[in-house]
Amino acid sequence: MTTKKKISKKDIGKLLGIWSQWFSVLVPSKEENVAKMVGWDGKDVSFLVWYRNTVVPPKANFLPPVEKMFSFQQNRHGYHVEVPQDEQKRLIFGIRPCDARGITMIDKVFVETYEDCYYLSKRKNTVLIGLSCTNPYDSCFCTSLGVKPTESADVDLMFTDIGDEFLIEEVTDKGKELLASAGMVKEATKADDAKAKTVQATVSGMVIRKVDTKDIARKLQACFSDRDYWEKVAAKCISCGVCTFLCPTCFCFDICDELVKKQGARYRGWDSCSFRLYTKMPMENPREEKWRRVRQKVCHKYQFYPMNFDVAACTGCGRCIRLCPVNWDVTQILSSLPASVTSRGDK
Amino acid sequence: MEQELRKEARKLLEEGKVDHIIGFAPGSLKFSTTPLITKEKEEVASLVINRFMVNNLAKFLTEIPGRVGIVAKGCDGRSIVSLIQDNQVVRENVVIIGVPCSGLIDIAKVEKLVGKDRDEIDDIALQGEKVTVTVDGKRKDFPAKEVFFEHCLGCEFSTPQEHDTLIGERVAAVGHEELNRKRIKELKDMAPKQRWAFWKEQFTRCIRCYACRQVCPACFCERCFVEESQPQWVSPVPKWQDNLVFQVIRNIHVAGRCTDCGECERVCPQNIPLRSLSKEMSDLVDEMFHYKAGTDKNAPSLMTAYEHAEAEDLFR
Repeated sequence: MTTKKKISKKDIGKLLGIWSQWFSVLVPSKEENVAKMVGWDGKDVSFLVWYRNTVVPPKANFLPPVEKMFSFQQNRHGYHVEVPQDEQKRLIFGIRPCDARGITMIDKVFVETYEDCYYLSKRKNTVLIGLSCTNPYDSCFCTSLGVKPTESADVDLMFTDIGDEFLIEEVTDKGKELLASAGMVKEATKADDAKAKTVQATVSGMVIRKVDTKDIARKLQACFSDRDYWEKVAAKCISCGVCTFLCPTCFCFDICDELVKKQGARYRGWDSCSFRLYTKMPMENPREEKWRRVRQKVCHKYQFYPMNFDVAACTGCGRCIRLCPVNWDVTQILSSLPASVTSRGDK
Repeated sequence: MEQELRKEARKLLEEGKVDHIIGFAPGSLKFSTTPLITKEKEEVASLVINRFMVNNLAKFLTEIPGRVGIVAKGCDGRSIVSLIQDNQVVRENVVIIGVPCSGLIDIAKVEKLVGKDRDEIDDIALQGEKVTVTVDGKRKDFPAKEVFFEHCLGCEFSTPQEHDTLIGERVAAVGHEELNRKRIKELKDMAPKQRWAFWKEQFTRCIRCYACRQVCPACFCERCFVEESQPQWVSPVPKWQDNLVFQVIRNIHVAGRCTDCGECERVCPQNIPLRSLSKEMSDLVDEMFHYKAGTDKNAPSLMTAYEHAEAEDLFR
């Protein structure tokens, strides 16, 4: 068993200050009441009080809403291309276990299946410091997806609130090194560890929304061609990009070039399978109808991802439920899947 | 009132007068509703009328086939009329079940007042001019006007003018001229440079999820101009300048169609104060053309009508 450390809550500012010497430190911050991970101002640790989770998931710090891939300039020999280099060392403090798991999910495609250089450079230069949940939303359902609100598997260091202090779990060597020069970090006692265990048990119990995800991929496969069912559940969806853009595991992007007077740049930005034009091709659009897009979104997360990677592309963070303009609730969909095709089949 | 609504909706389905009912059912979050779109008469038993029926259901009219019975608040009613004017909806195919509404509660305002999130609030009770919010067993009173949506405070048509049946009594709007235009006034009082900086900041947050457009009944284009690639009017990736241009053009496109339902602003996950643009646009339309969107189904739609007398020299 690894030893555990602890730190007084009032020393968090000091600790972040030390880390700021080596890293660009990101913490939860609100602008117009919209929380996201942004550069720490060197003082404010008020997030320790108000922070439950960010609106914009930390995936945005790895796959930003808009990103320049390269710039180009036409010259006598053709085009000169320049790829921006981003080797900044970053530390994200306070990432929730569901969102850290989201990053692990995206790794499966952007690191393990392909090597996306833009994502990779940010990923390998970023340290993740997790903060256990103590006050999950009523829309959270992480425990149904195998993520505990205190799960430490996807971060370098894990902080758990035990009253006036945080218990710190050293998960990776990288995390361990971060604490080596921090004088305010103490050895945790057995009593501290016991307190953390109580917190872990209590908070897991506070996640009240449940979905039975056992066999979910098979269940989805069984009702895949049940057009009536999908039409019904898709009816109120307005095909906006809120649930996908703000999902910690969704990673689709679109690419566009901008060319003005022989120079320009290639950008990529978030795209969404909810959009009608997402699958538009010259001759046809296989997901022209809304119900096909809604089905795609659900099946990609809970059927295709498990088929490819043995895990659902959902961490139960609940953002899609909290932020949906029409309260389209994926947990209700997953709980109401018909056992088999009951209506006209349609692929 | 809910019983009356459910009875009416069931009757419409049973008598075959409509194929679908669109209304509000309880949502899966506290203090929420969700659109109910159904052809099953059993399901209309879940229809509700409350202070949280935020969606403008007119949005769904253009995509539901056949005859539709639709629950309409004042603003939904205006949007339906506007769609009729624009030939997007056939009046005979719609049964408008009017629901008088004297204002909806903006949960974001309540959250701000009590410093708690939606799910941490135990109860919100509205009584006359007062609203009582209970958190952790403690009750706090606030003036009702502080928790209503801004657009509700500017509502002129609390009872839908165009309706086939009306559930309950006609009600007066909550009207509060000052509060309803408070943010617009603040913006107008800014120096142009300061105002530009404000909007730059706001649109830097925009992620182009298009929730504002998708939720808007006035945005009924088959293909939005932002999705054109030849020519490309606006970059598809969210750079603030393009985000701003998108929203400005969207506002011009919905001029004379926007009924100030406030949905664009409510659904924005980045809290961009979009109504400050759309409401100002509606006011300008009223001032310049004496036209209020969706108030006369027989009038030609503003942007499709041309009167020689009103044209500027350029077009004469």
